[in-house]
Amino acid sequence: MATQTKPQSATDRSTAFKWSMVIDLDRCTGCEACVVACQSENNVPINEESAFIEGRAFEWIRLERYWEGEWPDIKARFIPVLCQHCENAPCEPVCPVYATYHNNEGLNVQVYNRCVGTRYCGANCPYHARQFNFWEPVWPEDLRHQLNPDVTVRTRGVMEKCSMCIQRIRRATRSKTPSDIPDGAFNPACVQACPTSAMTFGNLNNPESKVSKLQNDERRYHMFEHLGTAPTTLYLKQVDTHGA
Amino acid sequence: MNNNTLIKVMVPAIGLSVALVVAVVGYFVLQSWWSSPPAVLGFGDGPTQPIAFPHTTHVTDAGIDCQFCHRKVTTDEAATIPAVAQCLFCHDFGKIDGTKSTSDTAAAELAKLFDDSGEPQPVNWIRVHRVPDHVQFVHAPHIQNGVSCTTCHGDVASMQVVEQVRNLKMRDCVDCHRDNNAPTDCATCHY
Ligand code: HEC
Ligand code: HEC
Ligand code: HEC
Ligand code: HEC
Ligand code: HEC
Repeated sequence: MATQTKPQSATDRSTAFKWSMVIDLDRCTGCEACVVACQSENNVPINEESAFIEGRAFEWIRLERYWEGEWPDIKARFIPVLCQHCENAPCEPVCPVYATYHNNEGLNVQVYNRCVGTRYCGANCPYHARQFNFWEPVWPEDLRHQLNPDVTVRTRGVMEKCSMCIQRIRRATRSKTPSDIPDGAFNPACVQACPTSAMTFGNLNNPESKVSKLQNDERRYHMFEHLGTAPTTLYLKQVDTHGA
Repeated sequence: MNNNTLIKVMVPAIGLSVALVVAVVGYFVLQSWWSSPPAVLGFGDGPTQPIAFPHTTHVTDAGIDCQFCHRKVTTDEAATIPAVAQCLFCHDFGKIDGTKSTSDTAAAELAKLFDDSGEPQPVNWIRVHRVPDHVQFVHAPHIQNGVSCTTCHGDVASMQVVEQVRNLKMRDCVDCHRDNNAPTDCATCHY
């Protein structure tokens, strides 16, 4: 084994990481592989058709579809929407028990066991990124064994949302110095599953990382920029002029 | 004794005994809630395991390293309990059969590793330490940072039956993390 360096202390860590995601919509085909990958990685309950109809489907990442143009000259466009991990997150100040907060790695964290289920955060999220467990989630018997042991199974009365696969972040960064973690060494489930590599994940505090370089892409935009939520998730899209 | 003196004696007596019962029960509940149950009347004892496996014999007498059996403790989340196959390295027929042991039940306990047809059968050990499901505990960084097994588990090497000696509740974890400059972000332990 290589010489073991003493891991960074908590204070050193505070400036080491700022996790972020960049989603290139010009590459997105709307296949929903990310949705399925997320669901199985994060123990997200299984949705039945009725859940979608009632607007209570659980999807930490969902695909929004819209049409560009008029039939027959029409194009389907897709936007994967997940928690934007806003730096000025509307969900955080409204939580009466501090169950959701911003941590020093740039993540908007949800502490399930702290949550008392007021649902204020969900009401305040302009991205509809949060889902509430109105009922105890159930899995079919034969799917129980595929639950991810690294992720808490949420109970009834708890709010949940995309965690940027924090279990993978923990596993990859634990007992390591930031410089020992190469860019792209690990990815959240959605990024890993994306067949067209539309999604990129990395550390914004590393100027050499792919996500850092994409911050200056001329196609960049933040979702609902005018709301001033300052999302860390960045989208890339060529402006769609009809017929282009 | 007339009725008046009876009441004068009985009322405070009943009042006192009720207060006493409430105090004792209250002490138990609060102590168990914030820490571990008080170690009286067998409350602090470890569970009775399906096989009386003594750590003393193996660690102190036979000199086996903790990591020989709890193999994943330096690299992973769970320390892991050894499979029967690993007991059989030493305890398969003709090898260490408990005959050198000072206890007369040793051979009988070892026989429980096999079913009636002589096939080894897995043991359903009872968990002693367990953090709730919403806590993600990992052994590896603790061991790598020189926190020894005894700090959290007590002197297992001299335990006949493993029991929990440290409450390992959130305050216990966070206090040590603070003292050692380890992370105290909620998302270190809860996700
Ligand atoms: C010969 C193999 C072996 C060795 C060596 C060994 N153990 Fe164990 N250990 C076991 C088995 C089997 C169990 C499960 C039965 C039990 O709990 O008594 C166990 C249980 C435990 C438990 C309780 C697990 C729980 O359920 O919470 C702890 C703690 C533990 N061992 C610590 C240690 C430490 C510390 C050492 C070194 C001083 C050590 N063990 C050495 C086999 C071993
Ligand atoms: C590295 C060798 C080794 C391994 C592995 C090992 N043991 Fe032992 N075991 C010993 C020795 C040495 C003794 C004491 C000598 C004797 O009694 O013959 C012993 C004694 C015992 C006894 C009798 C102790 C007593 O005094 O009552 C039991 C029960 C036992 N072992 C169970 C287990 C179980 C269960 C496992 C698997 C988790 C296991 N052993 C793994 C070496 C081992
Ligand atoms: C920082 C405190 C701490 C230290 C140090 C520690 N443990 Fe543990 N151990 C725990 C906690 C907490 C649990 C319960 C874990 C759970 O419920 O997921 C546990 C569980 C266990 C278990 C049973 C469950 C499992 O993980 O497989 C074994 C066996 C064990 N420890 C062995 C060891 C050994 C051997 C060492 C030393 C090399 C050690 N532990 C060091 C806190 C500690
Ligand atoms: C005796 C001191 C002590 C106790 C008790 C203790 N820890 Fe730790 N813990 C440490 C140290 C030291 C580290 C290493 C920090 C580092 O990497 O610099 C650590 C690291 C960790 C990590 C990994 C942090 C990371 O870098 O991702 C987790 C998770 C953790 N502890 C959880 C727990 C939990 C849960 C408990 C209570 C059941 C607990 N610890 C009790 C000392 C302790
Ligand atoms: C070092 C690890 C660690 C850290 C950091 C930590 N906790 Fe905990 N937490 C625990 C453990 C272990 C328990 C389980 C205690 C028990 O056995 O009941 C727990 C339990 C809880 C509970 C009780 C849940 C219940 O149902 O009883 C809440 C609420 C909680 N934690 C919130 C938080 C919040 C909020 C933070 C951040 C400020 C935080 N925790 C940071 C280890 C930790």
